[in-house]
Amino acid sequence: MSTSNAPTLHELDAPQPGVGAVLRNGLLYVVLGFVALLVVLPLLFALSLALQGPTLSPSLLPDFGKLDWSSFGQVFREEPNLSRWIVNSFVVSVVVTLGQLVTSALAAYALALMKFRGKIVFFFFFLGTLMIPWESTIIPNYLTITRLGWKDSYQGLIVPFLAGGFGIFLLRQYFLTLPYDLYEAAVLDGCGHGRFLWSILLPLSRPALGTLAVYTFLNSWNQYYWPLLVVDSPEWRTTQIGITAFRSSEITVYNLQMAATIIVMLPTLILLVLGQRQLVRGLTAGALKG
Amino acid sequence: MSIKAGDQEAARGNSQLQVVVAGGAAIAKKSKREWQEFGLACLYMSPAILFLVAFTYIPFLRSVWLSLFVTTPQGATARFNGISYYSRIFNLDGSGRSEYLKSILTSLYFALLVVPLGIVFALGLAQLATLKVRAIGFFRTVFTSSIAISVASASVIWALIYSPTTRTTQWIIDLLHLNAASLLQHSGTALLAVAFVTTWTALGFNFIVTLAGIQAIPQELYESARLDGASGWKAFRYLTLPLLTPTLLFLIVINTIQSFQAFTQFNVLIGNEGPDGSTNVFVYSIFTAFWKDNRYGFASAMSVVLFLILLLLTFVQYRVLDRRVHYQ
Repeated sequence: MSTSNAPTLHELDAPQPGVGAVLRNGLLYVVLGFVALLVVLPLLFALSLALQGPTLSPSLLPDFGKLDWSSFGQVFREEPNLSRWIVNSFVVSVVVTLGQLVTSALAAYALALMKFRGKIVFFFFFLGTLMIPWESTIIPNYLTITRLGWKDSYQGLIVPFLAGGFGIFLLRQYFLTLPYDLYEAAVLDGCGHGRFLWSILLPLSRPALGTLAVYTFLNSWNQYYWPLLVVDSPEWRTTQIGITAFRSSEITVYNLQMAATIIVMLPTLILLVLGQRQLVRGLTAGALKG
Repeated sequence: MSIKAGDQEAARGNSQLQVVVAGGAAIAKKSKREWQEFGLACLYMSPAILFLVAFTYIPFLRSVWLSLFVTTPQGATARFNGISYYSRIFNLDGSGRSEYLKSILTSLYFALLVVPLGIVFALGLAQLATLKVRAIGFFRTVFTSSIAISVASASVIWALIYSPTTRTTQWIIDLLHLNAASLLQHSGTALLAVAFVTTWTALGFNFIVTLAGIQAIPQELYESARLDGASGWKAFRYLTLPLLTPTLLFLIVINTIQSFQAFTQFNVLIGNEGPDGSTNVFVYSIFTAFWKDNRYGFASAMSVVLFLILLLLTFVQYRVLDRRVHYQ
């Protein structure tokens, strides 16, 4: 993009008074605004199509005189399963997030603060899970879920994701940064492991727990491959499967399809605005697992 | 006196005995406590261990096991097959059919499209985001926004952008004189079109990492560079870029790994092996063998190969990360 002119603009660090500075600042905003527009162009395109009514030949820009917002309500009537898909995604993402928080916090606690023989073995056991890509386990997992009769069920969508090496190491790393004196003082006061973890360590670890929660929720909400495999009937679809199946169904009208897509993007977009710091931290850490 | 001495001796002996007994008790107590601690630790780790054994380790080993067998359509092993699936994948079976090798190469080609595009865009955006103007935070959020957009929803939107009905990309087709209704239907442009969507979905992440890298460069360096007469392009070329190398290496590896795992965008945008098989990346051909053809054994062999490829890339990643630590 504008790699070449940006460093020149660098020189304008200190805002100087004067007409020239105002002009240059104005120019910067034009450049920034233009690039920002390019970045979100696909989103604006989606919004534009959603607002054009049930036309089969939409244009790039809607007629701003008569924007048709009805598609956002209509899509719930035309595709009665849409609300169910949203509920499904929420249930799955919330339970997976809570499950990961519990299993990760417990395991991370043992690895970080308890002294026991063979700890290194367990350490490598958890580390090893990071080396195994999800794609290499998907076939046996699918066969297992099918044999258990868990297709089209919350168990099938949730249970395989209730623990993860990433969460364990993220929390372990954080627990290790907290002063060990804290633990010794608590033990002197007769505080057992369970109570120390629950009433001292976890409240202190809110940033790390928040990072893990936001990251897990986002990943879970956006999952596509697994629900595609274990969901047969339309009412068990998650949002991601729903909007892509919506696309291939015959009743598709562009405005409804784009309205549905925008609706299912809202929770994660809101999450980005509210928890940008956690999200970014989580994604950056999460990427390390490869 | 002697009695006293004897008493004292006895007393001393007694106390020694007491020490020994107390010591023995302490050892017993200590080992008991150790065992208690061990049991408690196992208890704490057990939920995670249970799920990871059940859904990561056992399935992975079963993948390896299944890859050595011809399987029934229900996924049961039917006949031992040795490593012949592997030699089939790598075209070592003398059949002369190399479609799976070609599929791996398509994945590689896809990564070669996605990674440089992603880095260039991220560098551009990050440079812009270091401008010191008011409301730059707003622009940073906008540049990051694609982090929150799933690959599935992005693909649904881009499917319409590429669709002939909206005529959005018609000008490119006209410009290149393509003999196809859309960019996704021409063997020369389909993979690039998917790569572009992928770059867009990865933009937010690449941007935020690059920005963090640039912000970690000490500002004094730019000031002294300016005194030496280096600013603008020169400062970028000889200061920003070299100091950013560790960050960029990190992004290159991460993006390569993610490109090799990409599935959603191919299934939503294309839904088959693409025009002339041009978008049949390795993960997609695994999906075809597994899901469409129900060849569980063969698909397992392919997924083990994918594991090995990703393992190799992960090792490269750790090497790169080591270097990253040394640089900073």
